[in-house]
Amino acid sequence: MIETIGLTKHFDGNQAVQDLNLQVKQGEIFAFLGPNGAGKTTTTRMLACLIAPTSGQARVAGYDVGRESDEIRARIGILTESPGLYEKLSAVQNLDFYARLYGMTNADRADAVKKYLSMLGLWERRDENVSSFSKGMKQKLAIARALLHDPKVVFLDEPTSALDPEAAKIVRDFIAELKSEGHTIFLCTHNLDEADRLADRIGVMKQRLIQVDTAENLRRKLYGRRVVVRMRAVMDAHIAALKPLIFIKHVDREDNRLALTVDDPDGMTPTIIRALVQANGDIQSVAEEKHSLEEVYLNLVGNGGGAK
Amino acid sequence: MNWSRVQAIIGRELLEIVKNRLLIFTIFLPPLLLTIIPIGMFAVLGNEMTGGNLNSGGSLERLVALSPNMAKYSPNELMQLIVFQQFLVLYLVLPLIIPMTVAAHSIIGEKQARSLEPLLATPIRTGELLFGKSIAAVVPAVLATWLAYGVFFGGASFVTTPRVLAGLFNPMWIVAMIVLTPLLALLSVSIAVVISSRVNDTRVAQQIGGMLVIPAVALGLAQTTGFILLNALTFVIGSVVIALIDVGVLYIATKIFEREKILTQWK
Repeated sequence: MIETIGLTKHFDGNQAVQDLNLQVKQGEIFAFLGPNGAGKTTTTRMLACLIAPTSGQARVAGYDVGRESDEIRARIGILTESPGLYEKLSAVQNLDFYARLYGMTNADRADAVKKYLSMLGLWERRDENVSSFSKGMKQKLAIARALLHDPKVVFLDEPTSALDPEAAKIVRDFIAELKSEGHTIFLCTHNLDEADRLADRIGVMKQRLIQVDTAENLRRKLYGRRVVVRMRAVMDAHIAALKPLIFIKHVDREDNRLALTVDDPDGMTPTIIRALVQANGDIQSVAEEKHSLEEVYLNLVGNGGGAK
Repeated sequence: MNWSRVQAIIGRELLEIVKNRLLIFTIFLPPLLLTIIPIGMFAVLGNEMTGGNLNSGGSLERLVALSPNMAKYSPNELMQLIVFQQFLVLYLVLPLIIPMTVAAHSIIGEKQARSLEPLLATPIRTGELLFGKSIAAVVPAVLATWLAYGVFFGGASFVTTPRVLAGLFNPMWIVAMIVLTPLLALLSVSIAVVISSRVNDTRVAQQIGGMLVIPAVALGLAQTTGFILLNALTFVIGSVVIALIDVGVLYIATKIFEREKILTQWK
């Protein structure tokens, strides 16, 4: 649904995006992560045909960026960094205006406006001027605007940034629902937890694309899988008892805990526990270590992209 | 050109104007003031303008020499007619001034409210966007000018003679109001669009665009001093010329409206 080949953008000699090669499948939620100035918004703007690439190619919804921009614009929805609503108009007037730009019929416009305002909890305040709305309500209205015309691809730039936890959950559930309806979602976010929960795959960007994969695979690539055993006390004898277990790739000893790098924690944990118990180890807990996406992200962005 | 998209732009722009009381005030107050002032002036001064002496100025003689049919008026009537006509020239200035405010606000204001980016992400083309915005800025300017013109005639009927009133209500000014006023307003808007594409402060755009009134004021002064005489033919020719300039400036405005530059460089 989205494909880029060597997509590059310079602004007055400054490289904003460098040689971006990316594929996003239909119905996929793709989270695009990166620090401020990493080129996320520039990439989104190129894919939404708002700015032209300096070089490279891109296809969105089956059409070429640049050559078939009108076709693409008709098939995408975009939530920009700022809601960018008409403050003196009501919620209905804002949405109806955009629906007309997309060439929707009167009946379709009315149905779509009602559907999305209801889904996002704004129907009761549909006739109020947007200037009276809270930041979160404006953000929800901007999301509704991006979806009115049932776009194939939806670009969402920080969709939950202005929202309280309850509203953020509504929007996240809504995004998941969009995916189930077959929409392709290109999600730019700094909210790593949100990316972890929603995205099928994650791309980490810093002018160039550092890594693309599922969150789980990124964790594995960077850290492997580790079983953490907490004990009353860790003795040399316990470590010695683990030495015969050749499937353990690495052992880290940290106070009263052992972190063991293994390929298959589920299959190997019973053997590890048996070995430690036989060596008189008092085990308090055993669990697979989960690295947060934040750790993965900081690792990737911090070292410029190389996996450990 | 997709007309339903153009209509959507016009409808939305007009709705925003209607909901903006300050903007409505800015559009309609100056024309009404410029109408009330001459009417009030005549109401106060009455028939004391020339003291009955046709030779008091020299300009009057020159005017009668240029246009013999003016000899039918008494000196006072002639003076009233001339002064009223000078004020009528203001109705050519108004459509240049009023839409400048609306048009500059329309584009720069949109950028400042950050509503331009989602708008440009829709299938709308630059020409459709600018044409729609231009028409939406022209409509209130023309309506305000026409309203002021109507009030002017209504008021004038109370303070002058039927002969002067008939002299004012001539084909020249009908052409001016019906044809030239919208064309001048469109010229003002097109130039505002060009300026707005280059600056990102509505006040700067309005100040630069304000220079547009200079030719209209010069025209009025030339007529006042009797150096030229405006008639229906000059207005028809002027309308054709302005229409051609409108098309040219609107074309240039569309060409220099760089979506990318506006989105990435305006802060």
